[in-house]
Amino acid sequence: MISGYFARKSQLKADRLPSGALLWLVASFALLLTPQVGRLPLWLLSVCGLLAGWRWLAQKGRVRLPGRWLRTGIMLALVAVYLVRVQGSFTVDTAASFFVLAVGLKWLETRTARDFYVLFYILVYLVAVNFLFHQEIHWTLVNLGAIFLLLTALQMLNAPDLPGGAMASWRRLGGMLLKVLPVVVLLFLFFPRVAPLWSVPLVSGQARSGISDTMRPGDISSLAQSSERAFRVTFAGEFPQNRDRYWRGLILDTLKDGTWHQGDTESFRPPGRVNLDGGVGELQVREYDVLMEPTDQRWAFALNDSAAVSDNIAEKGDGLFRFRRPADSSVRYRLALESSNNPVPQDSALKPGEASRYLQLPASGNPRARALAEDLRQSASDLEVIRRLMNRFREQPYFYTLRPPKMPVDGVDSLLFAEKRGFCSHYAGATTFVLRSAGIPARVVVGYQGGEAGAGNEYLVVRQYDAHAWVEAWVEGQGWIRVDPTAAIAPDRIESGLREAVAGEGSFLENNWASAQKYGNVPLIQWASQQLDRINYKWQRWVVGYQGQSQLNLMSRLPGGITMKELGYITAGIVGLGLLVAGAVSAFQMRRGRRRDGYGRVLSAWYRLCEQAGVPIRYGETPAAQALRLAEAEPAVADSARLFARMINSHYYRPRSGRRSVQESKSELKRLRRLLVSMRRQLRRAGKTQ
Amino acid sequence: MNRFIPRRWQRWINRRIPRSDVQLLTQKNLFILPTSAGVVFAMLLLLMLITGINYQNSLIYLVTFLLGAVFIGAMYQTHRTLAGLELTLVEAGEGFAGDDVLFHLRATAGKQDAVAVMLSVDDTGVGIGHVPAGQSREVRLPVTSLSRGYLRPDRIRIETRFPFGLLKAWSWMRPVTAGIVFPRPVAAPETPGVAKEGDQTTAATRSSDGNDHAQLRPWREGDLSQRVLWKRYARSGQMVVADWEADKGSPHWLDFDRFAGAEYELRLSHLCWLVVERGKSGARFGLSLPGQAIEPDAGPAHTVRCLRALATWGQQKPRDAVGLRHGTRQDPDAKASASIATGGGL
Repeated sequence: MISGYFARKSQLKADRLPSGALLWLVASFALLLTPQVGRLPLWLLSVCGLLAGWRWLAQKGRVRLPGRWLRTGIMLALVAVYLVRVQGSFTVDTAASFFVLAVGLKWLETRTARDFYVLFYILVYLVAVNFLFHQEIHWTLVNLGAIFLLLTALQMLNAPDLPGGAMASWRRLGGMLLKVLPVVVLLFLFFPRVAPLWSVPLVSGQARSGISDTMRPGDISSLAQSSERAFRVTFAGEFPQNRDRYWRGLILDTLKDGTWHQGDTESFRPPGRVNLDGGVGELQVREYDVLMEPTDQRWAFALNDSAAVSDNIAEKGDGLFRFRRPADSSVRYRLALESSNNPVPQDSALKPGEASRYLQLPASGNPRARALAEDLRQSASDLEVIRRLMNRFREQPYFYTLRPPKMPVDGVDSLLFAEKRGFCSHYAGATTFVLRSAGIPARVVVGYQGGEAGAGNEYLVVRQYDAHAWVEAWVEGQGWIRVDPTAAIAPDRIESGLREAVAGEGSFLENNWASAQKYGNVPLIQWASQQLDRINYKWQRWVVGYQGQSQLNLMSRLPGGITMKELGYITAGIVGLGLLVAGAVSAFQMRRGRRRDGYGRVLSAWYRLCEQAGVPIRYGETPAAQALRLAEAEPAVADSARLFARMINSHYYRPRSGRRSVQESKSELKRLRRLLVSMRRQLRRAGKTQ
Repeated sequence: MNRFIPRRWQRWINRRIPRSDVQLLTQKNLFILPTSAGVVFAMLLLLMLITGINYQNSLIYLVTFLLGAVFIGAMYQTHRTLAGLELTLVEAGEGFAGDDVLFHLRATAGKQDAVAVMLSVDDTGVGIGHVPAGQSREVRLPVTSLSRGYLRPDRIRIETRFPFGLLKAWSWMRPVTAGIVFPRPVAAPETPGVAKEGDQTTAATRSSDGNDHAQLRPWREGDLSQRVLWKRYARSGQMVVADWEADKGSPHWLDFDRFAGAEYELRLSHLCWLVVERGKSGARFGLSLPGQAIEPDAGPAHTVRCLRALATWGQQKPRDAVGLRHGTRQDPDAKASASIATGGGL
């Protein structure tokens, strides 16, 4: 008879959660996990899926939620597994995994609205965490979609009986988001980007794919199967020639157990505050701007003879650059090429310590390579030795291959004399070995070589398969010169990139079916992937990279010298104005009169009529009594008034069971309105006759 | 001091929301505050902002601003969900003390849909659910009654947390009309005997016209004129009424004085039980209370009449605690709709 339901407030809270709300919460959780899929351990993902599924089946009534003991047991077991896996390292990465685990466990005890909100908070923060890992535009859309679903779930929780279900709540939500969008954009532009308040843990402690600071022969060939971006570069002028695009990253100068290491291992420094100010404004002549994907390492990649422009990198010596904080998210930096007619002051000799460092070799092993060095040493100058070694590579049947054979013992010997098949790291290591044996200081340089033009030739994209290793040798009078055995063996690799170099072998990205680069010869795919990359590049440079200096740079173009302080005022102004406008609009809408049901309107018309006829409405009077008084005052309308009162009475006090259908009440309303009109007419006529 | 502020607050609210059986929710009488979930959400946003600053992450800024703007947007939406809604007390309920008395209310939505609306008094509540714009819903709100008498909740709270539960908008209705709470029925010892030992009653006398077993007592309001001993009045000038012992002592009359020695409230409870019992069996009975007598009759209407008499015996009908200030006028619209509401109680 009466809509609604009785319940104590406490019971309402303990009520079963609405299935719709739970469903959307699970959906947003699934969506939030997608950016993490590659990163999270498989056991965690499957546990989360299992627990969420359990909760869903319990909601459907198929299974029961675990009791307290079982729940505690599951929780302890999973936390223990987590702790074993993490092994005490604390980064955002491990924290994010813990978040995911916490959400997974929370599913089992999500019984009340309170639990639901706890989950909601965790998932909202998970969105923020996701943004630390991925800032590309598609992941941004995924995360915003998850926010949308979360808000849908909240709406469903608070109004489970709202007709229209998810579609209706999406419409409401969409309308609201559209209304607040201008405020969000203005806030994004004007909210002062203050410097980091304190230094925070690194985003990820796990090694990411990319070059590493040790080189075992064959390491880089595994990278060659990856088409992930390493970095993108914009030049002020023309791109340098492909053969000059040697991006130096780090120097490996110590050979130990067949593996090349960095001689001066970089000592541990605290990560420091995040500094993403990679330079602002137009690029000056000879400058170039690098947007690097996260590596979790300090090293930055630079062309030969570069100097730091932005202050988030510093030169380390030997033409290498280092970040002040490991690149745990994508980071932009700016460098300038020094003009080549201004020769680098070459010291006449290496320092004594350096000479021994760059001549270091294991005491034994690879006898044939040492013999070869002796042989080459017959010729007089160092340059001649290098030239003859390169000629040997060029003239003898050495092959550049992504499928090198295994060379476990005396790797240099078997590469140079037996197999003659290898990848850049094999040849760089072997060349350094031979040169050192011949008494020429030499070192392995690791970085990238090449890069292909992005859409519209606006920038270069350097990918992991461009990873490269080459050699630098010290020549009296000339300083360090670059020696690249790969250039001698497979000139294609240096002139036009890896694709061409291994075209005959067909091994380019052979295990990477999903990569668009694999299909670089299909124009449509190529074009689409380039355009997508361009959008992402712009997004990362202008939206993701909109920080500190770039904000001030943009503001300086606006009139009236805006500084940080003014930005604060502007932000406050935007919020205040937004509140004011919304308040004014809502007040205006209220004032425009509220809609009531037909009977309410008819009644107010009746009250007006009574007042006009000189029958004031008394508080607590029934329509019947009013009609009686009206009839006394104006006998002309007596009958109509009585009829009207009877109909109104019967509408409001009719038992529910006797309620009329919509059609009936419509026709009843029509009759009531007609009655009012006729009463007005009767009143007018009566007034005239008097 | 710590009592002072709540009292001032109460007074301020009471002034702002005068007692009325119909309450139109407007910006003047609607309140809005974040719920505890909303406060935690605000703290979460702050945490996210700090994360964004420390990691210099624009997208975290973006999502923080987005959620902050949604929070503000929700403020307006929550407010608008209730604004324009009209709450009417259709009928104040009746029931036995200790039970929930159902108050019949009607909510009529204004221009906006009213969504997820809750009514509550103290700790009992009832959900109205969704009221589409311009339509109305009727609900019965249980109000816990503690003792017999008039039951008028000081405030009926109407609240919504739509859309996200992060904010609550609420208002109160302070009804004028009171419900009636009957005494709690307590099984009465079946003592059909005469309440002779009643101390206050005048001694039984044998009247001059020879009627036996009549008790004489002074006239009180409600006594039938036929009962007055007019001869005696002519003689002494005193209005005296003869209570026929034959009636009083018979089970037809339920008398307050029958349970002499018991507390008044207990007597009323016993009487209540008897009324209910008689009502069930459909017997004829009358009710005699000090200052009030209800002639023997039968039927549900009679039973209810007796129960009401028991409920309100010795009670003042509550009146509007705060009178309208001099010179204030009520909105004719609201006043008029109120007439409909109170009409239902008649």
